[in-house]
Amino acid sequence: MAQEELEIEIDKFGKVTVKTIGIKGPRCVEVAESFVKALGQEESRELTNEYYEAEQQVRSHIDVKRKH
Amino acid sequence: MSSVIVVAPIIIANWPVITAAVVAGVGSLGFSVVNIAELESALSENMTREEIEVENSEVLDGSTGTGEQLSVVKDGVKATFTRDTRGALKLCMEGKGKSKAELRQLGETLMGRVTQQYAYHRVVTELKERSMTIVEEGITETESVKIRIRNW
Repeated sequence: MAQEELEIEIDKFGKVTVKTIGIKGPRCVEVAESFVKALGQEESRELTNEYYEAEQQVRSHIDVKRKH
Repeated sequence: MSSVIVVAPIIIANWPVITAAVVAGVGSLGFSVVNIAELESALSENMTREEIEVENSEVLDGSTGTGEQLSVVKDGVKATFTRDTRGALKLCMEGKGKSKAELRQLGETLMGRVTQQYAYHRVVTELKERSMTIVEEGITETESVKIRIRNW
């Protein structure tokens, strides 16, 4: 199983950064969002390569099926 | 890295939770809670006063009623945390020989640490409710609290 991590950093002004590491696809956002609801107001969001990775895999799979 | 979300905490808590956050937060800056005798000796004439309304805060009405107040002091500067009439958190800074701008800056620093402690308390509570275990925790060079959770 790939290592899935959650890293939470609370700066000295109280601002919280929630990072998900190694979680592919939309589930990474779901995990982070659950903490946002408990803490306050979302200020910014950045989605990186792994978020799109799982979606690309699904699209590739559909393309292969269509060729048959 | 898959996603990064930045959150500005909203302080919604009863007075005991806020008191705990204040004590833990201001302690790291050398402030300490004072009793009435010490408070009176810390007070003197010609004190500059600056009030800071804490946005995004709500002190939940508890059974203790009105008069919820906590004062801390350091080097002749007194910081008093109270619940205002609207139910929000308010910080009153008082100090001799300090300008209003200096008191405001110091007050905002104090409120930052209080917010940091409150956010830490909320995060740890959420992790416990989800049976998520912290595998690493520490303070960074920039005085941030860093928590790592793995394979929950």
